[in-house]
Amino acid sequence: MNHSSNFNITGNQKTFRFISYTLVFLMMTCFAMTIGVLIRNAIPGWSSDIIAGIALFIVIDRLYTYKRTKNLIPFKREWAFTFGAQWMVIVVFTKTLLSFANGPDSLMSDISSFTRGNLANLFNLEFGVTLSLALLVWYVSGQFLKLLDEIGLDQEAALSKAATPVQKDILPAHQRLVNLTLQVGIGLVIMTVVTRVNLNAMFNQLDGSFTGLSRFSGAETGALFYFIFGFALFCLSRLISLQTRWNHQHIPIASDNLARQWVVYSVVFLLILIVVVGFLPSGDNFGLFSLIRILLDFLISIIFFVGQLVWFLLSLLLSIPFLLLGKNIPVYPPIPPAPTPPPLDPLADPTLLTNNQILMLIRSILLWGALLVIIGFSLARFIRQHGGFQATFRKLPIASWLFFVWQWLSKNADKTRRTLSSVIGDAWQRIISRTEGIRLFPRPGLLRLSALDPRRQIYFFYLAMIRRGNEQGVERKSSQTPSEYASTLTNAIPSVHEDIHSMTEAFVEARYSPHKINSKEANLVKAAWKRVRRAMQILRKPDKN
Amino acid sequence: MSGAVLPLIVVLLLVAAFMRGDFALTLAYMVIGGLVAGSWWVRRALAQVETKRHFNTHAFLGEKIKINLHVKNKGWLPLPWLELRDSLPVALAGPRSFQTVTNLGSRSDTNFEYSVEASKRGYHPIGPLAISTGDILGLGESLRAENQADHLVVYPKIIPFATVEIPSYSPHGTLRHALPLFEDPTRVFGKREYISGDSFRRIDWKSSASAGQLQVRLFEPSIALETFVVLNLNAEDYYYRTRIDSTELAIVIAASISNWIIGKKQIVGMLVNGRDPLETNSQPQAIPPRKGKLHLMRLLETLARSEAIDNSALVPLIQQQRHQLAWGTTLIVITGQAGDDLLDELYQARRKGQNAILILAGRSASDESVMRRAKILDIQVFQITTERDLKIWMQASKHL
Repeated sequence: MNHSSNFNITGNQKTFRFISYTLVFLMMTCFAMTIGVLIRNAIPGWSSDIIAGIALFIVIDRLYTYKRTKNLIPFKREWAFTFGAQWMVIVVFTKTLLSFANGPDSLMSDISSFTRGNLANLFNLEFGVTLSLALLVWYVSGQFLKLLDEIGLDQEAALSKAATPVQKDILPAHQRLVNLTLQVGIGLVIMTVVTRVNLNAMFNQLDGSFTGLSRFSGAETGALFYFIFGFALFCLSRLISLQTRWNHQHIPIASDNLARQWVVYSVVFLLILIVVVGFLPSGDNFGLFSLIRILLDFLISIIFFVGQLVWFLLSLLLSIPFLLLGKNIPVYPPIPPAPTPPPLDPLADPTLLTNNQILMLIRSILLWGALLVIIGFSLARFIRQHGGFQATFRKLPIASWLFFVWQWLSKNADKTRRTLSSVIGDAWQRIISRTEGIRLFPRPGLLRLSALDPRRQIYFFYLAMIRRGNEQGVERKSSQTPSEYASTLTNAIPSVHEDIHSMTEAFVEARYSPHKINSKEANLVKAAWKRVRRAMQILRKPDKN
Repeated sequence: MSGAVLPLIVVLLLVAAFMRGDFALTLAYMVIGGLVAGSWWVRRALAQVETKRHFNTHAFLGEKIKINLHVKNKGWLPLPWLELRDSLPVALAGPRSFQTVTNLGSRSDTNFEYSVEASKRGYHPIGPLAISTGDILGLGESLRAENQADHLVVYPKIIPFATVEIPSYSPHGTLRHALPLFEDPTRVFGKREYISGDSFRRIDWKSSASAGQLQVRLFEPSIALETFVVLNLNAEDYYYRTRIDSTELAIVIAASISNWIIGKKQIVGMLVNGRDPLETNSQPQAIPPRKGKLHLMRLLETLARSEAIDNSALVPLIQQQRHQLAWGTTLIVITGQAGDDLLDELYQARRKGQNAILILAGRSASDESVMRRAKILDIQVFQITTERDLKIWMQASKHL
């Protein structure tokens, strides 16, 4: 059969990945923004923007690291290390941001609480909610990415999955993606409704009537955009799932522009849908032009939000040195002197009762040490997971300058290290050569042969041979190598020349090679040594006579 | 429809109704609109798709047939994806289906070409073409449509014979014959001097005048070979272990003999008691004796379509047909096994002046006894076990 067509299934995989990840990011942005609005409405005292920003950070991190972490087997060592490190960074980052959002003094106060071991003070409701939200966003983003991979972003995995027998009760991956999107959408709608309720007013009215219902909270656009992006994701995932199926069934795609046309049709379809929906009667808030205006407002607000977030992160980074040095931060008003901790009541504090300053110091050291180790380890893992960051960083001009400095330092350090190691090596060799001739085992009188490992047993027999040789007048010169000495000894006792040579070879191997020496070899040497010893005894007898 | 769509719509409507949530109404419009518009688009567009196959519907064995599939979107709505799957019979070489994916813009068309090899005799369906498509969002089920199947007729294998030993008593034909009994006065092949006893009607007066002595015309003997081939495709009349091969062999024999007879410019008719997929009642159709290439194609087409059938007795059909055949017609019966009733029928035909030939196709346990009985009844029997046995007719015979 002649097919005048071509297979072009996996060619668009990178583009598909980029678009789908962007759409997931946008959807999750809408989700985070809506949550931000909800928190702002419900609990104005909380840093709602920071919480939303943290959620966005989690999404970005998840999108970035998903490809590397998706193959980790749950609850295995590597999985635990990777996600443990990731979450450690997330927790520290979240706490730092939340603390800093309340002012640098709050951050210092939290650090101070930590150093004093008052960990309970760090875990307030805001932090807990933010972490829960982070976990939710992390999980939902992961689910989106997992489903997209299953649909066909990861063609190999998708095809292997497609090859396995289909279970009737499991929906196709695209359907599950639709379900997940819509389920999150339902949650978003409910949250949007809640944002429209003036909770403060409602809480103030004991009867709980919705007198505080506002007409427009700002979260509606987030929900609206979520569904628009969701529909766009449906279009894309539909194409990917179809392509996976065609690939699995080896159905060639005859059209060269199927993917391109698909994008065009999707965009046109969604635009028409939005325009038609805009014209439909839906009250006084939404019409086509008002809808467009709201959508534009939302986009601008996202840009502002991201800008604010970046500015906040920069200010945090800039203020860290000032905070550590205890100086006022230029971008902030002068820090009022930190409230001195209330004088501790010696009766209330058992630590002071004992007045054990050493214990306090140890606890502080342990906490700081643990914190630094964990953060250092987590950061190292985190940076390793984000290989692209390193590559991007290397491209920066400042990085090349730092790299040059580092190279200079490492070159000098290398030189020093080499000199040091050669000096230490020489000294060690000298020590060894001395001990070889004199005493390899610290306390020969107390030596128990069976307690020695096979390697040392071989040492023992060989050194015994040298010792006995010395006694017999076949002295080993310090310049002689083991083989040279073996030749000398063989000349004196030719009857056991094979044993002497085998003992020498065994010793050389035991002494200079990293090979594992087993007891069998040690026993062989022992047997050889017995024969050599007997020969040496025979050699001695005529002298006596 | 996805399982979460309905709960979402319910939530949106509830919110719109009770919470004055205009945004919820907008979202409800969007979700319902996406669902309805997507579904409407696909249904509307699929209805406008027209497909047509172009190919040579008749082919000889081993021939390669190019099939051109024309797909046209007559409507304004484009189709983002269209999966085409044209089913092909297993008997034809190659994969079991032609399948491809394409997209069609508004009022556009596309052509696909694939080829199949006519590797087996038969009346093969090409198609039906299954067309699948679906909405761009993937919220609804895929839609599927089918167009009708076309058919490809693959003629049976024809073995070219040099000659076939078929006796005929029909004089004045076009075939030369050895017996002077069948001398044809239209086929003068020479002259000789008159011998006492020669018929005066044979004297060539013109040449006698010019030669000065009586000359008589010599006529070439000839026969007319009017043949009627009866092909038995009653499955029970073939040895069950080799039934498929034997029936195919019988068809090949019938096709080859018909081809040879038409090649000799003789007339041939045919009766097949097999199943013809084109006949609604599946009753055997007799093709009256005719001559010419067109008639041969008709015979071959019938043979191409014929399939073995159960419970289709042959003897009553021969009885029915024999009375319509002219005197001297050669009746060739091709079957797997011959019972006494068939031999009796052939004997009766012989007695009525028709030549009966029995060809046993394939292997059967009762062949020996059949041949003995046929010899007693003076019915010529050929046993063709394999196609190789047909070589006996591929070499020139001395008899004809």
